[in-house]
Amino acid sequence: MQNNKKTEQIELEVRRYRAIEKRSRLWDILLGALSILAFLVIWQILCTFEVVDAKFLASPLDVIRTIAVKVADPKPEGNTLFVNIFASFQLALTGFLLAALIGMPLGLLMGWYKPIDKLVRPVFEIIRPLPPIAWIPIIIVLLGIGTVAKSFIIFFTTFVPILINAYTGIRETSQVHINFARTCGYSNWRIFLTVGIPSAMPLTFAGMRIALGNGWSTLIAAEMLAANKGLGYMITMGRTYGRVDIIIAGMLVIGVIGLLLSGAIGKLENVVLKWKVKK
Amino acid sequence: MKGRKRKDILLNLLPLVSILLFILAWLVVSGGESSLIPTPTAVFERYLKLLEKPISKTSIPGHIWASLKRVLLGLLYGSVFGISFGLLIGWNKTCNRIFKPLFELIRPIPALAWIPLMTLWLGIGETSKVALVFLGTIMPITVNTYTGVRLIPKINIDAARVFGANNVQIITDIVLPSSLSAIIAGVKTALGTAWMVVLAAEMISAKTGLGFMIIRGTDVLDLPLVIFAMILIGVIGACISSLLTIVERKLCPWKSEIN
Repeated sequence: MQNNKKTEQIELEVRRYRAIEKRSRLWDILLGALSILAFLVIWQILCTFEVVDAKFLASPLDVIRTIAVKVADPKPEGNTLFVNIFASFQLALTGFLLAALIGMPLGLLMGWYKPIDKLVRPVFEIIRPLPPIAWIPIIIVLLGIGTVAKSFIIFFTTFVPILINAYTGIRETSQVHINFARTCGYSNWRIFLTVGIPSAMPLTFAGMRIALGNGWSTLIAAEMLAANKGLGYMITMGRTYGRVDIIIAGMLVIGVIGLLLSGAIGKLENVVLKWKVKK
Repeated sequence: MKGRKRKDILLNLLPLVSILLFILAWLVVSGGESSLIPTPTAVFERYLKLLEKPISKTSIPGHIWASLKRVLLGLLYGSVFGISFGLLIGWNKTCNRIFKPLFELIRPIPALAWIPLMTLWLGIGETSKVALVFLGTIMPITVNTYTGVRLIPKINIDAARVFGANNVQIITDIVLPSSLSAIIAGVKTALGTAWMVVLAAEMISAKTGLGFMIIRGTDVLDLPLVIFAMILIGVIGACISSLLTIVERKLCPWKSEIN
């Protein structure tokens, strides 16, 4: 009897606690939505009542309209929105995949085999402190403004964080695991494959996420400097033609795609690293 | 034993080999008559010429200082606002609910994508460049401060409260010191972004600065100048980041994982 009563009491407590938690989460969403709504309304008011000159700011409604129109209309800079998105997207992915394909194995090998580390490290350290943006002009001079040149720029941008993280990741392989594998008679190469690489993967994925973010923003800069399509080109042209709505619409699309890319990497990480214990 | 020693010597020779190979590769690529890439000597000669005939009437230190000033000013504003804002949304629940979604809305837009809008709003002068650096730096600093505050064990704060500390004391004595290493990590990331943003902004419109030097070089196909500017940028970037590591070591000596 006594016991039953106690359980009941505990259950009641738990239920109350859950209710409070639920209410607090609802409150979270509500306040968040309200604040975004307020932001948009103030923005709209600023534009409708011309508090801010229409030359400098387009209203949210205008921006949405522009996005809708831009899907089919190539004016003013000559490409529809999808052509621009596709152009940027393709470049970002090409450069990124190339960097992952070269940077990841190189980083892993450098972390595991000392001679490779000693050989590659100095050159890498020379290139590393240079912001990828600094490569843009010279690559454009050497390779033009086409796909190859831009893929190269993205390659340089994404290569560094991927390599560093793969390197750091494999360096942090637990010595106990390595020793254990060695005791079981595994060769160094086999330990590298079966122990080193898997334990380097979480950090490598973190590196890829950073790389993709950096690559995406560098690409925008590259397209601003020299291009004839792409989202960066679109917003610079918006600036040239004095079309604020196009600039803001472009920024919005850039932000959303950036989010989608990092989300995609997160999904991939979940699939590849199923064994990783979630927090 | 002897074999091992020899192996060690060979291993330590490898970096030298690597640098030599790098220089050799540079010489080979720049060797041909028609090659666009300048030789190392051409770059050095360009540097000597630069001493006599400065670009846009600004000496080399002048250009460096122009870029650095933009980076430092933007970083200063970014740090002040970023740390305060991060503390605010990390500490106060209501502020978190109100401002976090807005922040998350703006955050995915890369700082570089702001360039057209900023030049439209603020012109192409110093203000817009500092504002761009500010935008680029405030994001990582805010995120890191916020995360740092959120990671403080609740028991530390509760303990302080039990001993009668007020909110101000808790923030200055517990919250700030505990999140310091996260904040510094944020500043480090921010510095990288700041440097990148400044270069891009200078490439698009400026009369001084290292980014301007690069773009001037490409405009008149003066590639030795471009390479020289790139070397300068790399060296300065490396100096700043090692300076920050030293600061980090001084400020939070308990953090062991600093490499």
